[in-house]
Amino acid sequence: MVSIDIELHDVRKVYYKSTLAIPVLEGIDLQIAAGEFVVFMGPSGSGKSTLLHLLGGLDQPTSGSIRIGADYLEQMSETELTRWRSHHVGFIFQMYHLVPVLTAAENVELPLLLFELSSRERRQRVELALSVVGLAERMEHRPSQLSGGQEQRVAIARAIVTDPDLILADEPTGDLDAKTSTEILELLQLLNRDFGKTILMVTHDPKAASYGRRILHLEKGILHRDETNQPIHTSR
Amino acid sequence: MVRRLSSLLTFVVVSVVVLVLAVLLSFAAGIRASLKSSGHPENILVLKSGATAESTSILSPDEVNRMVQTPGVANSTTGELLISPELCVQTSIPRQGSGAMANVAIRGVEPMAFEVHPEVRIVAGRCFEPGVLEAVVGKAASERFSGLQVGSLVQLGRLNNQVFEVVGIFEAGGNAFESEIWTARTTLASSYDRRYISSVAMRIESPAAVPTSLDYINGPAVRLQAKTELNYYEELSSKTREIVLLSSVLIFIMGIGAVFAVANTMHAAVDSRRREIAMLRTLGFSRRSIGLAFWFESLIICLLACGCGLAGSMAFSGTKQDFLSDATWTVLAYQLQVTPDIALTAIILAVTVGTLGAVLPAWRASRVPILEALRKA
Ligand SMILES: Nc1ncnc2c1ncn2[C@@H]1O[C@H](COP(=O)(O)OP(=O)(O)OP(=O)(O)O)[C@@H](O)[C@H]1O
Ligand SMILES: [Mg+2]
Repeated sequence: MVSIDIELHDVRKVYYKSTLAIPVLEGIDLQIAAGEFVVFMGPSGSGKSTLLHLLGGLDQPTSGSIRIGADYLEQMSETELTRWRSHHVGFIFQMYHLVPVLTAAENVELPLLLFELSSRERRQRVELALSVVGLAERMEHRPSQLSGGQEQRVAIARAIVTDPDLILADEPTGDLDAKTSTEILELLQLLNRDFGKTILMVTHDPKAASYGRRILHLEKGILHRDETNQPIHTSR
Repeated sequence: MVRRLSSLLTFVVVSVVVLVLAVLLSFAAGIRASLKSSGHPENILVLKSGATAESTSILSPDEVNRMVQTPGVANSTTGELLISPELCVQTSIPRQGSGAMANVAIRGVEPMAFEVHPEVRIVAGRCFEPGVLEAVVGKAASERFSGLQVGSLVQLGRLNNQVFEVVGIFEAGGNAFESEIWTARTTLASSYDRRYISSVAMRIESPAAVPTSLDYINGPAVRLQAKTELNYYEELSSKTREIVLLSSVLIFIMGIGAVFAVANTMHAAVDSRRREIAMLRTLGFSRRSIGLAFWFESLIICLLACGCGLAGSMAFSGTKQDFLSDATWTVLAYQLQVTPDIALTAIILAVTVGTLGAVLPAWRASRVPILEALRKA
């Protein structure tokens, strides 16, 4: 298995509004080992999402370096980053972002279209991903026919179908009730523990955070605290 | 919902543009086919100098006699010169169906005419007899006008008081003669009180001899205006070229409208799918693939619309239409035909409209800022 480790060195991000500079990340130094389950917490506006986007190659830092495995993201062009994302990262968002006119299976299949696979291979992978998230029976349902928790599980299946090393989740349970949240978090834990995925998750919810093995606190663009956590053990 | 409406509207606009294009082009093709098949390369048509069409040409018997000396005129099997003096008059006859009156040309000919114009063949009934009020009718005219079937009686003459009997129908290889009524020249001359000749058609021995013959007639010996029949009909069809040109301008303007309609729809499509686009970009879809996807979508809309427009134009295809030739002021019957060429032109138009309309929206789609679009839920 490719062990992906992550190293951030003095990462800064400044947004500019006309002439006004808004510093959001003010020098982040961080190492993450392959297979970790890291949770980012912190007050609203502290830069959690910004950091996650930089780690996922959705944006470039203003300065500093981000190494993921052998790749230095800040040195990559837009096109290279796009390609890198398709091979290395799976994103999970609070809003799921499923395509409403496609079935669950078709939504999950989307990222596979970027790879040279036969439709049979794609089908097999989609079935596998959906069975991992427990939705093998809902392949042909459209997002409107699914509950929020099920939609998020489809989104998770979409994130893992290409078998990326790194899964990034920005408040994946932000829109879900406690019971469904638990199911999603247990699923992420399973992906981390049984499939060896490195998971970086942003959350506000201390209960959600307790599923991580390491909790990083961000405040005003600075890493404030780095604690290890004894994650909740699931019943399985 | 609004977007679906706008897509539908775009679809309709593009369909209509394609429909109009196909019908106009097939109209032009139909007229051209009907005029092109008129005229034989070895035939010369002689008119009065300055006349632009047979209907405005008046030749005296004297002038006709001067032509007998023309070099190169072919002989019939019986040894007569292949020279056919013809008289052309117009009359109004009600159309089949609507009953509206339209001008039809009546041509008075001598037996020689059938040798100079060998494509004219009686296909039903028989030929008219000279000195009797009898006529034969071109196939196209008999289909387009009421009361021009074999056995029909039709009122003709200067005072509209001479009852001619239609005794036959003729074909002429689909050319302009098929829109006419033919009778004996002497009969027609007395019915309409026209003691002159409109034009003379003559057959020359070989195409090589034609220039010499033309020179002779145009020259001091005869001082009349001679053209090959091909030239004559080509000049008549130059009118259609003007119409085609005008309709091209019309189609161009409509095409621009269609481009804007497509652009509008595609912009709306991009706006309503910004989050979807951003999501696809996070999955690793490139800017180019996003832009291409919108371009294809536009092409699909336009090609479907094109198919619809062509299907609509097929409904007209094969129908017999007529066209008032303003050179001769008579109705020319022609057939609308949607040829593969026209279909291809329509497809090219649809692809062009689809592409031009999609350029800007597709570019915008490819530039959707990922994070901003994802944030705005
Ligand atoms: N494109 C942008 N232009 C200007 N400012 C931005 C932009 N994106 C984010 N910011 C600012 O950067 C700061 C950090 O934003 P970020 O989304 O990373 O916060 P967060 O920690 O995820 O907050 P939340 O918990 O509310 O999601 C905020 O003050 C935000 O207004
Ligand atoms: Mg955030």
